[in-house]
Amino acid sequence: MKKNILTCLLLLLLCVAQAYAQDRKVTGTVTSKEDGLPIPGATVKIKGTQTGTQTDKTGQYTLMVPQNSIIVFTFLGFTSTEESIPASGVLNVVLSNEIRGLSEVVVTSQGIRREKRTLGYSAPTVNNNELTQGQNPSALTSLTGRVAGVNITSASNTPGSSTRIVLRGGSSITGNNQALMVIDGIPIDNSSIVSGASSLTAVDFGNRGNDIDPNDIESVTVLKGPAAAALYGSRASNGALMITTKSGANRAKKLEITLNSTATFSSVLKLPTFQNEYGQGYMSGSATSAGYVTGIDDASDNFSWGAPFTGQVQPWGQQIDGINQMKPYSALPNNIKDFFKTGFAADNNIGISSGDDKSSFYLALNSLNSNSIYPGSSDTYNKYGVRFNGKTSLSNNFTASVNFNYNKIQANTPSNGQNANGIWNALMQTPRDIAIDKMGDLNNKYNGYNPITNQYGFYGAFTLNPYWVLQNFSNLDDVNRVTGDVNLAYKPFKWLSIVERVGIDSYSDRRKLISPKYDFNPADESGSGLWISETNNGSYQLDQYNVNEVVHDLMITASHKFGNDFNVSLLLGNNFRERSTTSNLTSTNTSGGLVVPGWYNLDNSNGPVNVILDNISIRRLVGFYADLNLSYKDYLFLEGTLRNDRSSTLPLDNYSYFYPSVSGSFVFSELLKNAGIGDFLSYGKLRSSFAQVGSDTNPYSLLTTYGKTTVNGSFGSTTFPFGNVTALQVGSVLGNAKLKPEQTTSFEIGTELAFLQSRLSIDFSYYVNDSKNQIISIPIPNSTGYGFNTINAGEIQNKGIELSMRGTPIKTSDFSWELFGTFTKNKSNVVSLPDGVSQVVIGGFSGMSIVAAKGYPYGEFYAVTNQTDAQGRTIINQATGQPIPTTTGQYLGSYEPKYQASLGTNVKYKGFSLNVLFDVKHGGKLFSDTKSLVDFVGTGIETGGPRFGNQFPNSVYLDANGNSVPNTTVPYSVYNYFTSVINNTPGMFVVDASYVKLRSAGISYTFNKAQLRNLPFGALTVGIFGNNLFLWTPKSNAYVDPEVNSSGAGNEQGFDFAGTPSVRNYGINLKVSF
Amino acid sequence: MKRKYKNLKRALFIVLVAAFGFSGCKKILDVNQNPNNPDHADPVLLLPTTQAAISQVVGNSFQVFGNIWAQYWTQSPVASQYKSMDQYAPISTNFDNPWLNLYQVALVNSDLIIKSKEAGLDNIKGIAYLMKAYSYQLATDAFGDIPLSQALQPSAYPNPKYDTQQAVYDSIFMYIHKALPLLNANAVSPGEQDMIFQGDMTKWVAFANTLELRAYLRLSNINPNAASAGIAALYQTNPTFLTEDASITYTSTGGNENPFYNEAASPTLGKIQNVVASSTAVNAFKNNNDARLVRFYTLFIDKVSPVDSLESIQQGSYIQFPNKKVSTPSPLVGGQANDPTSATAPVKLLSAAESYFLQAEAVARGWAAGNASSLYTQGIQASFAATGAGDPTTYINTAPDGLPALTVAATVNDKVKAIITQKYYAMCGFQGFEAWTEWRRTGYPVFFVQSAATTIAAGQMPLRMLYPNTELTSNLNYPGTIPIYTHVWWGLPNP
Repeated sequence: MKKNILTCLLLLLLCVAQAYAQDRKVTGTVTSKEDGLPIPGATVKIKGTQTGTQTDKTGQYTLMVPQNSIIVFTFLGFTSTEESIPASGVLNVVLSNEIRGLSEVVVTSQGIRREKRTLGYSAPTVNNNELTQGQNPSALTSLTGRVAGVNITSASNTPGSSTRIVLRGGSSITGNNQALMVIDGIPIDNSSIVSGASSLTAVDFGNRGNDIDPNDIESVTVLKGPAAAALYGSRASNGALMITTKSGANRAKKLEITLNSTATFSSVLKLPTFQNEYGQGYMSGSATSAGYVTGIDDASDNFSWGAPFTGQVQPWGQQIDGINQMKPYSALPNNIKDFFKTGFAADNNIGISSGDDKSSFYLALNSLNSNSIYPGSSDTYNKYGVRFNGKTSLSNNFTASVNFNYNKIQANTPSNGQNANGIWNALMQTPRDIAIDKMGDLNNKYNGYNPITNQYGFYGAFTLNPYWVLQNFSNLDDVNRVTGDVNLAYKPFKWLSIVERVGIDSYSDRRKLISPKYDFNPADESGSGLWISETNNGSYQLDQYNVNEVVHDLMITASHKFGNDFNVSLLLGNNFRERSTTSNLTSTNTSGGLVVPGWYNLDNSNGPVNVILDNISIRRLVGFYADLNLSYKDYLFLEGTLRNDRSSTLPLDNYSYFYPSVSGSFVFSELLKNAGIGDFLSYGKLRSSFAQVGSDTNPYSLLTTYGKTTVNGSFGSTTFPFGNVTALQVGSVLGNAKLKPEQTTSFEIGTELAFLQSRLSIDFSYYVNDSKNQIISIPIPNSTGYGFNTINAGEIQNKGIELSMRGTPIKTSDFSWELFGTFTKNKSNVVSLPDGVSQVVIGGFSGMSIVAAKGYPYGEFYAVTNQTDAQGRTIINQATGQPIPTTTGQYLGSYEPKYQASLGTNVKYKGFSLNVLFDVKHGGKLFSDTKSLVDFVGTGIETGGPRFGNQFPNSVYLDANGNSVPNTTVPYSVYNYFTSVINNTPGMFVVDASYVKLRSAGISYTFNKAQLRNLPFGALTVGIFGNNLFLWTPKSNAYVDPEVNSSGAGNEQGFDFAGTPSVRNYGINLKVSF
Repeated sequence: MKRKYKNLKRALFIVLVAAFGFSGCKKILDVNQNPNNPDHADPVLLLPTTQAAISQVVGNSFQVFGNIWAQYWTQSPVASQYKSMDQYAPISTNFDNPWLNLYQVALVNSDLIIKSKEAGLDNIKGIAYLMKAYSYQLATDAFGDIPLSQALQPSAYPNPKYDTQQAVYDSIFMYIHKALPLLNANAVSPGEQDMIFQGDMTKWVAFANTLELRAYLRLSNINPNAASAGIAALYQTNPTFLTEDASITYTSTGGNENPFYNEAASPTLGKIQNVVASSTAVNAFKNNNDARLVRFYTLFIDKVSPVDSLESIQQGSYIQFPNKKVSTPSPLVGGQANDPTSATAPVKLLSAAESYFLQAEAVARGWAAGNASSLYTQGIQASFAATGAGDPTTYINTAPDGLPALTVAATVNDKVKAIITQKYYAMCGFQGFEAWTEWRRTGYPVFFVQSAATTIAAGQMPLRMLYPNTELTSNLNYPGTIPIYTHVWWGLPNP
């Protein structure tokens, strides 16, 4: 027995020795097919055994293998490959990415790259190709329709205009609701500071998030819930956009130069539908319709309430030097449309990148020069940028990288709203027979203003010539911005890495708002019209904003594998953040204006200089966080995070708060692999997450303070010093030294499925977000002596579903057809407000508010409107035929859409590529001052048709018992209604904001290598494109693009207060690399 | 192995440095002291705030409502800002601003002065009590029941309840009585920080007495016994009354202009002339051949043919005269938007003429001793002097609404009618709110008409202001919306 054992042992030894003798050395490099980069950590195994190794950080491996064995190469996210050993012993392997949706790598919080399958929350990614398809210069607008759960609103779609991006609904009553923007791991500022006294006279200087050039972006990952962003702390409670900029490819063979050049033309997307039946003039008589005298000419009028058109040639405008101009009395259907010119923008980006084994860089220069649709060159936007991203690996396990970006922006932006300088406001008040588009020659005495005689010849008494406004008013903006970060990573052991990162975002934004001083009298000598003098004291306002943010992160990650199946990694981090801002807003005296016309300097103030705001603020936050990741095999993942923040803005004895998150992912398709349905279901994952995010408040919210006295009327104000008298007043906001951090809780469950070799993929989420204990300045009764109290109160809940699908019905080597779409339904509800407070105003004006009202969705319109009966019919006054207004404001619907959807397609045939993307928003509301204007002046389509003897549409009156009686007998004065009555019911200007847009479309051709053989180009693509191309709105919105918004990217949305119209863009694009 | 150990030490070192770096958390985070605003204010700096706030209410928002509802002014046919007032269709948000200025500026800052623990503030506190009394009277006369007992205490009463007008009036008298002993000519004077009397305490004593007389007379219908007793008690103290206006004098410096003019000249309203002469007042002045007419209004005399300008229009008839120019209120009362001299028009919180007419009424009612005719005459003289309308003697003696109206009056009511009607003339453009208020109390003058633009029932008139929307949407104790045609506690149901 003993001998037998010995024999066996010897035999075994022999075998081993023989096997050993027969083993041979195989070496090679594993690289990625997509970018040619080496893949470190790929598993190299001998098939059928557990013997193997991993590639090192340069993707290389060495393995002793028996003859004739097969080697299996695997790496998460890549299709595994089996290879036999070549004679040379050198086996280089190229792994290709697995099909989309199966194992994308996404950038999660703190810039950490994770495989998508491991995530317990929704984190869709948009890559550069999709982002730049529409060639929109705004990276944020370019995300529209690409991702479910994201609500993007682009105010006018011109370069430099505002884009608001909200993920899963607004969760904060008065705070910021937009997603945090993070570039290469560093949060950046996305302020939207609107200039002008209020949103009624706003100047949209855009939001800082649009500064980044989409061409520099490699990818954008949208982390929708707070779960995804728990590691960013408070600021990410609204979700985050993780933007990764391009980097140079390691081992690039040469210097790669890519030039991307775009020429864009633009035109107005939507104008109101006008009536073309009645011209300039008004009506006169008693208040009953029968007594009206129609069609009274008044050559000075802004009303189109005159007689029906006759076509007769007649004098118009002012009589100057005894002579009147003559024109036919007939409609000019395109007088407003033809006022606008074709806008033009040139967008150029040169990217230079290269790299070797150790280092790589990406250097880009870009410029964007735009002169938009207003005539002349008064709506310009010029942006210049430099980006440098560099990275190097040092020999002693250190890696250093730097990202740097500089932007210079200079813009001139015409004013919105109902000021003298509101262009849209002036245009909308143009009678239907006045050729406003022909009045650009200001040397013509009938169009212009004479500063020597101080006379004007322009026809209108109530508006200025918009051409003159464009030349003489300006709103100039000058931004200098540096963002960037320095990274130092150290990996002393395989299982441990330490990353130190410091980032900055620093900019200055200097604005000059110029309004001329003038006092013009009409040149007319006939005394026939009611031309009145037009005066303005002029003003000059200088606004300077400086923002500085410094962020530091230290992250230590340790990982360990227990056995073959369990992986554990733990990240510990420390975060420090400081944000300091200064805001200095000064202007010449508000009512005194300028002393000398034409001199725009604070020294020219007529009366004391008005210090509008002189504010310094600093806030700091220290955070500690931990992130634990567990995985079991390839299909079960669990993540838990815990963060502690200490904020300078909270009371010192209560400044520290903790918040956790937990999420899990189960890739169940791994278990079904052998169940025979693999052909049908290629990938299936269930995920769920729960998270809380705490949040601090604004600096200096703890104490009630005093300020210099200003007693405001509705439009004017009494200011101090008053002669020699100086005064202080107590602030209207009560401080609160007992503030607690606020808390957002979110829950999400979802699934990702891919079928038929991933030809069809689906991503579905259901979520509930709850924001409680919000730190808000709630309005308190003024009878308390104060206006607002800063307290912890209020709760907003957002619930919704998100669905995105992608399918490739046809895929051959030459031809492919891809369809994709998203569907988002978010329901927001203001669950509670403090006792007694029924609503918090977030925008609007006196009589028409946009509010957060208890029991209603966020962003509800609240205004007086016409009374209606149970069937929705308008109740009229039986004596006058006019509608009866409600006695108090009514809730009229929210600006938030009930659902959003998008549908897009990509078709490729050989070198040709076609893309089309539609998006839809349904069920939101919009306040349109444009409607108010065209109703008032009688140019709107509603004011056309018969103007006498008709009843108010779908109206009833109430009989003695209060019952509705359909009105078929009592006529109303259309004139009286639109010029006077309707103005008491601003709710009548709230219209359906639903729309369908052709968001983008384009065709491009990419030349193949053979075609380029004799050319110096490595790659060449030419294309034509369009964005914001067509718009369909419901009949009730015959006025404006529902995306138009007068107050930038803030919470006041759906507010068309004579805003700049939105544009459609189209052009050609050339992309060439050398 | 040794090398690796060294690396580990290095890693630990980095961690420790980082940890130590942030162990001084509290110090790093102690940066929340507001560098922009102080958290304490000298009471003498709060005093002008209270006065300017009251003046902003009386001289702007209440100036417009008052002068339109007292039918001195009406909406211009070529503008539209104040149509809803002539339509008797104001909405609650129209009253947010005056309510805010009363409570959140005038009253709270008065209260902070009164509660100040600093020494030597007697005079300032006395004036603050009077400002409080004045503000509460303004508020209750406009709105009826208002918060008082629980007002101005945000921590204890975040939702102040509304007190009855009667209780508010009780408090008004109490505040005046608290003020009087504090007003002392020998104590530290606020000097120029007192924008009304520049620290003249004698005048403040007269102000207190005149305000008290006005407040008691307001109760003449609802509680004549209390009114007569209060006035008797007041006269027991040998009170001095105002012989000059209690007003803030505005200047042409930007931001220091007459508030109504400042509003009209704001970039938003752009000097558009929104108010014009109402035939109600203009015809009454003309019936008396009153020299003050051309002082209160800038009348159009020449008219181009076809007629493009009108002397006045019937109250609320703007729709009948589209694109017609109408005579405007004069710069003297701050009412002409495109005339910069409107900037210097004063805002009168109490006027000298008013003081005499109040005394005349107290005498006429038999609640005070004195000569009603002579006080009445002094009132007219004060008004003529204030308007620069020349010698009033002929007017006093011959105008139908002049002295004859009082001398022929047989009953107390007729005497009161003459006095209030004459007071109405004196208040034109200057004190529209008070004139409308006295009409609500007495029904005089009798020549008011319903606005042609009215949207309420025939015969109904505006008798109160609406509670502001801010209270509706933030105060748990909001008492409900009361229509404007419902009279206030002391007012006549149908004046």
